[in-house]
Amino acid sequence: MPPIRDKFTIHSKAVVCQDVELKGDITIGAGKSSLHLRTIVHPKATIFAIAGPIVIGSGCIIEEGAIIVNRRKEVMRIGDDNLFEIGCRVESPTVGNCNTICTRARVHHTLRISSYCVVGAGVLVVPTEDEMLDEYTVIYGPAAERRVWSGRGKVQEMDLRRKHAEYLREMLPKFNRLRRGDGA
Amino acid sequence: MAPKIEYYCPCLSESPHPPPPNRPSSSYSFHPLHNLFFCEECDAVRCNRCVSVEVSGYYCPNCLFEVPSASVRAEKNRCARNCFLCPNCRNTLTVVPSDPPEDVDSRMSPIVSTTLGEPPFFLYCNHCRWDSAEVGITFEKPTGLAAQLQKFEDSAPEALEFERLKEHFEPFLRASSSSSALPSASSHHVHTNPITAAASSALARDIPGVGKYNPLSRSRVGREKGAHRQEYPDYKSRVEVGTALSGEADVEFLRHLETVSQVAALEQRWTNSWVSPLSASDLKPLRIPLQSKKSKRCPSCRHILIKPEQKAQSVRFKIKLVAANYLPAIAVTLPHAQAAIEMLKRTSKTTSAAAQAEEQQAAGALIAGHSYSFHLAFTNPLYDPIQVRLAKAIAPAQTAEGDEAAERARRSTFQIQLPSAAFPVGAFAEAWEYDDEDEAMFLDDDGMEVVEARGKKGKDGRGKTRSVGIVEKRANVTIVSGEVLIPKEARGDVKFNMLVSYTYRSDDPEPSEEAQTGTPSRSHGANKGPEMKNFSFYTVVDLGSIMYREEPKLTADL
Repeated sequence: MPPIRDKFTIHSKAVVCQDVELKGDITIGAGKSSLHLRTIVHPKATIFAIAGPIVIGSGCIIEEGAIIVNRRKEVMRIGDDNLFEIGCRVESPTVGNCNTICTRARVHHTLRISSYCVVGAGVLVVPTEDEMLDEYTVIYGPAAERRVWSGRGKVQEMDLRRKHAEYLREMLPKFNRLRRGDGA
Repeated sequence: MAPKIEYYCPCLSESPHPPPPNRPSSSYSFHPLHNLFFCEECDAVRCNRCVSVEVSGYYCPNCLFEVPSASVRAEKNRCARNCFLCPNCRNTLTVVPSDPPEDVDSRMSPIVSTTLGEPPFFLYCNHCRWDSAEVGITFEKPTGLAAQLQKFEDSAPEALEFERLKEHFEPFLRASSSSSALPSASSHHVHTNPITAAASSALARDIPGVGKYNPLSRSRVGREKGAHRQEYPDYKSRVEVGTALSGEADVEFLRHLETVSQVAALEQRWTNSWVSPLSASDLKPLRIPLQSKKSKRCPSCRHILIKPEQKAQSVRFKIKLVAANYLPAIAVTLPHAQAAIEMLKRTSKTTSAAAQAEEQQAAGALIAGHSYSFHLAFTNPLYDPIQVRLAKAIAPAQTAEGDEAAERARRSTFQIQLPSAAFPVGAFAEAWEYDDEDEAMFLDDDGMEVVEARGKKGKDGRGKTRSVGIVEKRANVTIVSGEVLIPKEARGDVKFNMLVSYTYRSDDPEPSEEAQTGTPSRSHGANKGPEMKNFSFYTVVDLGSIMYREEPKLTADL
């Protein structure tokens, strides 16, 4: 395996703390629309592009201790407005928009996540075959039960997430050094 | 399994001696120390089995509202405020307003104000994202939801039927409660069972061929009571039992089943009081069941042993007579097992947790044909020093030196040696009151004495001496060592009853006296002193089960 070449592209509006472990080819905050909020990466988060690059959209919040790994050759794309809570580990090749990966949840690289999905706290999702999670799927509980969310309340939830990101954008730079990308 | 010790509560047996520990039923008589109470009036240990329990208050575990007992019944034991359980995952539900009407603009604008909640409101589970709009329950305003839901509950046919049944039996219950004052035993028997009567008449009506259960027909003695029974008319059910069962629809539902999760699971159904729907999609939110704070009384003298504070938020107790404040806490350890575990920790760092646990278990094993020493750590909760004396209890008689060997051979295959002399355990004090001199003072003569006394015994018993006596003494903890000798043919658990008796004094002791009481003869003399009190209790010590392996590699020599 060739040595991993570091190449970080961090959007000028994204808030990435200095104390974040980045490895490989990573792009953060590449949202399509300029109206979108910035992506926030808390200190002590880890983003590992082992094989292929990782592209993270805008408006995402990646909390402390979260680990995002790309084990595959192709680009791992993470959409907009996703929330990766403390200590979660995500290896999905694709993640859509507006998903929530709760605290200490683990998602294996065989699972692709579409949009508006929720992986509950501490849930371990390890499908043996490649699987695409349908929109609005909720995985919860110790047995990783699934159900489909009606989607009621999603507007409020997205508002809350934007407020959350907005608050972090103001507060995090006050207490942390920020990391800048190579190019930007 | 780690060795453990449990304390005996004599409430189940007539004799004060505990049952042999190898009987399976004996486990009901022994309890961990932290589950026991101590009645000061009776000077006795009380367990959860023998205390009488009273409810001292009801509260909702979610909103911590204290529900007056008068309204508990009206609210059907469930929270009448805004607390609900998710019918899907039994998390608590929150009340949320509906989303503002979705259009393209609101999606694009960075922050939409949602502070103004828009009706209809609905209940929403943060865990599994169930919401009450799925089952058609929405609210116009976000307050008083339980009252709105209770209306649904109360209008359910089963609830109505139950109400009517209660009304129907009301006069009869009143009559029976007034007549139960009569000393007649037979009338009492008949009148206490109006529910049985109702159930039997309902059964007889609905299922042809089942005769009415009539206690009067069995006992002809209370014939004159038959007239009384005629006074009250048959109850006419207003619910058709046949429709309630609805077998056809269920079969149809099951026939079109696609996934198992469409059927409501048992956990989802049994928190509900009434008939709950079979399909998971029809489950309704549940009001949270209330919980109660209970106080406990001594069964014989009726004194309160434990009483919580009234406030639901408080975790303190007004009265708390727990055994842990009176009896010395005993912890059992097997030094050879601990040494082996230490070794394992040092050598193998890479093995998984499960494998490690297994290895640790193997390391702590008691192998037949070996002898092991075990440590008993006594922690004194009293503010005065105590003298503890141990004896291996052999029911029903106490251990006598003469027939001990014969008894042992008959009852158990393993042999236990305990320090026979009394040993002191220091007084409990706040941590900063201890100083180093104390410890040095205690150790010298007490420890030596006991080891010597025990050593003599060990020689004539087994030919070799082992340390049975005080191992360590610090603050209010004394660790003594005992020995277990497991013959080759021994099987089963190493489990024995131990009688612990301790003397304590109410007055503050003189330091000079303290040093002298270490010798057994002196402590006996001190026992007769007016200020000394004696208390004994039984325990069961479980050191673990005997392994049959012949590999001596893990037996640390101690």
